[in-house]
Amino acid sequence: MKIIGVIGTNSANSATRKLLEYMQQHFKQQAEIELLEITDYPLFNESDDQSESALLTGDAKKIEAADGVIISTSEHNRMIPSSLKSFLEWMSFKLHPFNNKPVMVVGSSVTKQGSASAQLALRQTLDAPGLGAIVLPGNEFLLSSSAAAFDENGALKDQGTIDFLGTCFKNFLQFVKVADVLNGVDEMNFEPGTYSVMASGHNGKVPMKVTFSENRIENIEIDTEGETTGIADTVWERMPQQIIDGQTLNVDAVSGASDTSRGVLTGVAEAVSLAGADPDVLKKRPKPAKNVADEPVEYEADVVVVGGGGTGLSAAATSLQAGKKTILVEKFPAVGGNTIRTGGPMNAADPEWQNTFDALPGEAATLKSLMETPDEKIDPEYLEDFHALQGQLKEYLDSDKHFLFDSKLLHEIQTYLGGKRQDLSGNDIHGDYNLVKTLVDNALDSVKWLQNIGVRFDPNEVTMPVGAKWRRGHKPLENQGYEYISNLQRYVKEEGGQIITDTRVKKLLQQDGKLVGLEAENFDGQKVIVHASSVILASGGFAANTKMVQQYNTYWTKVDDDIATSNSPAMTGDGIKLGTDVGADLVGMGFSQMMPVSDPVTGELFSGLQVPPANFVMVNNKGDRFVDEYESRDVLSQAAIDNGGLFYLIADDNIKATAYNTSQEKIDEQVAAGTLFRDDTLEGLAAQIKVDPAELVQTIKNYNSYVDAGKDPEFGKDVFDLKVEKAPFYATPRKPALHHTMGGLKIDKQAHVLNEAGEKITGLYAAGEVAGGLHAGNRLGGNSLADIFTFGRIAAQTAVTEHEELATDATTSASHSE
Amino acid sequence: MNYTGIIGNNARNSTNRTLLQYIQKHFGGSDQITLCEIADVPVFNKPESHVAPPAVAKIAAAIEQADGVIIATPEYDHTVPAVLSNTLEWLAYTTEALKDKPVFIVGASYGALGTSRAQGHLRIMLNGPDLGARVLPGQEYLLGHSLQAFDEDGMMVVAEDIQSLEDHMKYFAEFVKSNQGK
Repeated sequence: MKIIGVIGTNSANSATRKLLEYMQQHFKQQAEIELLEITDYPLFNESDDQSESALLTGDAKKIEAADGVIISTSEHNRMIPSSLKSFLEWMSFKLHPFNNKPVMVVGSSVTKQGSASAQLALRQTLDAPGLGAIVLPGNEFLLSSSAAAFDENGALKDQGTIDFLGTCFKNFLQFVKVADVLNGVDEMNFEPGTYSVMASGHNGKVPMKVTFSENRIENIEIDTEGETTGIADTVWERMPQQIIDGQTLNVDAVSGASDTSRGVLTGVAEAVSLAGADPDVLKKRPKPAKNVADEPVEYEADVVVVGGGGTGLSAAATSLQAGKKTILVEKFPAVGGNTIRTGGPMNAADPEWQNTFDALPGEAATLKSLMETPDEKIDPEYLEDFHALQGQLKEYLDSDKHFLFDSKLLHEIQTYLGGKRQDLSGNDIHGDYNLVKTLVDNALDSVKWLQNIGVRFDPNEVTMPVGAKWRRGHKPLENQGYEYISNLQRYVKEEGGQIITDTRVKKLLQQDGKLVGLEAENFDGQKVIVHASSVILASGGFAANTKMVQQYNTYWTKVDDDIATSNSPAMTGDGIKLGTDVGADLVGMGFSQMMPVSDPVTGELFSGLQVPPANFVMVNNKGDRFVDEYESRDVLSQAAIDNGGLFYLIADDNIKATAYNTSQEKIDEQVAAGTLFRDDTLEGLAAQIKVDPAELVQTIKNYNSYVDAGKDPEFGKDVFDLKVEKAPFYATPRKPALHHTMGGLKIDKQAHVLNEAGEKITGLYAAGEVAGGLHAGNRLGGNSLADIFTFGRIAAQTAVTEHEELATDATTSASHSE
Repeated sequence: MNYTGIIGNNARNSTNRTLLQYIQKHFGGSDQITLCEIADVPVFNKPESHVAPPAVAKIAAAIEQADGVIIATPEYDHTVPAVLSNTLEWLAYTTEALKDKPVFIVGASYGALGTSRAQGHLRIMLNGPDLGARVLPGQEYLLGHSLQAFDEDGMMVVAEDIQSLEDHMKYFAEFVKSNQGK
């Protein structure tokens, strides 16, 4: 018989502990009692879930495997100690190892009561549904005046007490056998057949068919037509497999697709109910067993890349083109990172192509005003290039040409000026000259390189991504971000590169100051080691790690705890930590970019009614306008933060028609779901969004008069289109969401990671959002794609060259020693 | 009156926090109510020094200067959550802050029972010799279905809940006064 004894105290020298140690010795003929400590458990906090930690899962596994559990408690303020309570809360939150487990309660106190009151409360607690233990009735073992109860060998002194403990223990062993019979309840009895239910996918309902035999879930079939490809594919494949293999609904969500994962679980649970069984029993069953081998999986490569977004894939592809053995490690089940989420246009100055388009009204004025920027506004290292640009602009403006102008120098100066920022403490930052120069000089090559890989760009449209300041966007012909990822992924596979998904890098391995590979952990918890002399970090930024953004932020007056992000949930700054662990320096960490008009919950841009800014009417929680709606993202974001974060875009029926992201069906769905508000009167709309109706009506009346006048005396908006006048009226809730983290590892123009002394860390390279210094305080729209495909390639080129040098060195020294 | 409210939960979203914040707002005209969070209190480990860590000392000071204390407890597994009993262990071990202090227990739960079992246990704990508080007898404020009890701005939506809370607060004020006479 295998018993776990939980020492219900974190105090080192207590009778509670002695009592269990005594039982372990005294009853060793009858049962093997393994003691379990709770000293290292953090205080339970449902907002900081630790259920997946090794400590918790390890203990839960032991309890699940045991025939019974003895809990020994002391008494604090007439209750069980908070440390024991905390342990039980962890064991009733996500893990449920006590479910149907026979439990014996013992306890001691230095006073007379012998923990009577605590034991009573403990029995009640063990009865709670999250624990669901079967507690041995009667047999109350209360050890009072415990200080004098043990001799110097830790044995109980009083024979009467020893005998009574023996009786209680004997009864418990008998009870364990009885409890086995009770546990038959766990057996499932289904009404055999196939049941159809609807699971929720990312894009709505997904039909599912679940087949049961008398005692088992036999098959789960999901009709995924209409769902997007990508990460959800992993859900459809993995979750049914795990549910069937483990005959359990206690299955982890797939990272990055938690909504869809939950949808599958809810769908199967519904089918279980339809088949006449209780899904709660399946939810409490242990998680499917993972077959974890003790031995790590080991790989050998020349170059290993961390992260499977656009940066990592282009680095891997470049390394493969140089004939190097290349491995890419991605922590999520699928590659794509943030790149797969982009709208798609990539900046690169290509005058030959751009010159074939006509200039737009206003563009000449923009160039003229840039040309007239006084020298003192330009940092010294950029002055020479700025003067050269002034020459180019003068020549263009003096000519009578009407085509779209561009040059590498214009791209350079716009990138530099766009990134110039000051933080709250008055620190200035601007882009590193070498990095900016490298970007603009190579961006067009990156476009051509991508075309060779198979990415198709639209030759007929030169676009200006939001916040780009100029029309130099190369836009994929279709599929937006997916176009880059699908082509790069295919290419990497064709060229023999290995992509290992579901594997999280834990640390970089270093020997004699040189990188020699990395250590990671895969989905099954198995250790993975990749040996390689070059490591390229391409793991993205940290916009999905709010705590980290708050920790470093020096730019925004406030970053809310519940701020959303437009990023993939994978963007948690892992690579920055990996880099600093081996001594890397950081740059620009306090700066981040927010997308002001995002969904308050999901961070998505394309929910509600997204209309051209000329038709934005933004009101705060009082029903007042608070900003010129045509302002830049930074100004809008800060204004929203100053007004409490949440605000509304007000629209009428005509403005609705200018929304470019939606259909009437989607609008109706969102109104029904309560994520978009609609009313036939402004007063009614005000009531729905809980602002003063009179105030909102006045605000709109004023706004309409500004549209008529073409002038806004309050906030200076000067680009107007429609008035708000035709019912029904709409309010779309919006809030700034984290969009891009500017700071990161310090790199040079060859993508070497630098340490605090400015020296290269041998064998370590970084590119993309994990690195800082290029965009500095703010990033032009369309520049991050230019960044990742340019520096992703450069990082690999440098790594490859240096790998060859290292190999040559090694050969040379080998021949010397002969 | 000058009250200190203790939010008995460390979760980021807690309707017990909403409840105390509502009490603070609703009775703010006549009473001054200071709220204490307990998430920063370290794990109780019976230090030999008997010195309260700063987070505990701060709560103790807030209790000492108050005429009365309002504790909002959630219910985890049929009893008081570890994070609250942890704070009480510190207070009992390092201070006498709650000794003879008038206490009013409230609690909010998602389900119907409104933390009745946790409140029963909390009463026993506070009545014990090491804490020795004076818990308002004969009155229980149990707020069930707490997710539906407040609107987005944290205001109570059901008139009876508000009325009942006002009645309880009146009893508590009288209880505090009658204790001050002694």
